Amino acid sequence: MHMREIGAMIRAAWLTETSYRMNMVFSLASLLTMVVPLYFVASALQSTMATRISAESSQYFAFVLVGATIYTFVAACTSALPSALASAIGKGTFEAFLGTPTNWGTLFVGMSGYNILWALVRATVMMAIGVAFGARIAFYGLIPLTLIVFLLVLAYGAVGLIGAALLLRYRTTGPLLNGVLTGSALLGGVYYPTYVIPSWLQQVSKAMPLSYGLRAARRVALLGQPLHAVSHDVILLALYVTALLPAGILCVCISLRYARKSGTLGHY
Amino acid sequence: MGTIATSVLTDGALEFAPPAARESTVAVSELTKRFSSRASVREMLRGHFRTVATVVDRVSFDVQEGEIFGVLGPNGAGKTSIFKMLSTLVVPDEGYATICGKDIWTEPAQVRSQLAAVSSDERSLNWRLSARENLLLFAGLHKVPRRDAEALVLAMLQRVGLEASGHKMVAAFSSGMRQRLLIARSMLARPKVLLLDEPTRALDPISAQELRVFLRSELVERQRCTIVLATHNADEAFGFCDRIVVLNKGRVLATGSPSELRARYGEERFRIVTAQPHHPCFARLETMGVMHRLKCDGPGIDEWHTLECSIAGDSSQTASVLDVLHQNGVPVARLERIEPSLADLIARIIAASNGHAHA
Repeated sequence: MHMREIGAMIRAAWLTETSYRMNMVFSLASLLTMVVPLYFVASALQSTMATRISAESSQYFAFVLVGATIYTFVAACTSALPSALASAIGKGTFEAFLGTPTNWGTLFVGMSGYNILWALVRATVMMAIGVAFGARIAFYGLIPLTLIVFLLVLAYGAVGLIGAALLLRYRTTGPLLNGVLTGSALLGGVYYPTYVIPSWLQQVSKAMPLSYGLRAARRVALLGQPLHAVSHDVILLALYVTALLPAGILCVCISLRYARKSGTLGHY
Repeated sequence: MGTIATSVLTDGALEFAPPAARESTVAVSELTKRFSSRASVREMLRGHFRTVATVVDRVSFDVQEGEIFGVLGPNGAGKTSIFKMLSTLVVPDEGYATICGKDIWTEPAQVRSQLAAVSSDERSLNWRLSARENLLLFAGLHKVPRRDAEALVLAMLQRVGLEASGHKMVAAFSSGMRQRLLIARSMLARPKVLLLDEPTRALDPISAQELRVFLRSELVERQRCTIVLATHNADEAFGFCDRIVVLNKGRVLATGSPSELRARYGEERFRIVTAQPHHPCFARLETMGVMHRLKCDGPGIDEWHTLECSIAGDSSQTASVLDVLHQNGVPVARLERIEPSLADLIARIIAASNGHAHA
């Protein structure tokens, strides 16, 4: 990986985004409007949910906050590459990037790098707002939490790679990204634990990396459990990464080869 | 100058021997590209679901170091497709090409480090960034060390005359400024080969001429850069390029220097601006076979007429004609050569090929 090239692309994206100043202000301000309703709804449901979420948290607001923050971050990372790619193709910069000696892997990381970093900033601000509203976080669990979120990003980033491959091949990601992200939001345990949903749907939720990631993340970040206590979930997440990431890279290689062959690299 | 061997086949097509790959900066041999697309409903009803169009058909040419080589052809001739194949953005179906000895099939990354392609598409710039930031981004992608990037960007902006506008957002630039910025961007990597796809398309005549002067003096003469320039403007190709390949419908029609092509395919046409287009001297010269195919336009607002004609023989014959006109008291304000239009040139080359075929 070439950090110089990635840094140049992230810097350019940052300068481009800061040229729309109000956009950035609204992007951060919207977090407040996300967290405040969560706080009031979660406080109202605390007594009802307390026993149901006891395996992952004692406080429903913290439970929902961690779920919503990680989901928002992972969703942004999943769509980072496809949206950056669509934008570059639309603006006409994609062919110019590919005309440089920088390889496509570095270009793709550079193109999505800013979106991922900005999502990280938003997630941090969101957590900070939550803590200010009284969410109890075990800060010593931040290191294992970082590892778990990293694995989640890799697993869902692979879905983003497949989305990018679809975009290169068909000029649309189709229902893939929306389907995976909506399914994960509904069945991955973002707002409620997965065992409150009907048993037949629980089988679907077991197929989602987010289910394992959120369960492990809450146990380390909210209950303060050590990493080995959640090793089962972490290993399953790592298996997802091992299976999905090469598949995503392979799909992008195939799509790039197709686009180079058919002359559609720069088409939008 | 070019080393390509040209021969005329019995079917009238002009065919080229494979270029001497080792000596040429750009060597293209039998390059072919076909694109398939979905067929129309009518075609589908006939059972054909895909249509295949050959956009580049066994194209061969070579370009030497420091040469300005024109790829001349109408829209759809295959110019841009050739450029995309040379810059490894499109994979050819058949044929070979090397850039500075690097093969586009097997060494695409090395090819991209030797050449820079400048599209006339201004969209490839980031319009929300300043000119300087656009160049800094591409300096990074071209692996220019960070400590050198600032100075290099400044130098490039100065070289294209944009140093005063370096901090301005590209969205505020004129087309000419954006074109110059695209050239500055391509020069960041100090390429040995520059592919320019219709660089003067969006420029006014003065800016276009300034750009041509800049390309020759700065890039070719100073940096020994090789330029391959695609254009559908015959004036530009004949006036600016050292050698030209003429393409039509994906096929090479002819290759040569402007003077060779003129000699091979052009009767040379001249424009004479005179106040007495019906002076008997013209008729006499026509009877003698010195001038022919005279065509006279009505007088302009200043009562001077424009006479178009062909003059047999070389430049000394043209000088003699001018001398005779003066001696006979014919007022001549101007005598100039008319470059053939692209359509004329292609028609003549096709006619010449057919002539060879019939012979």
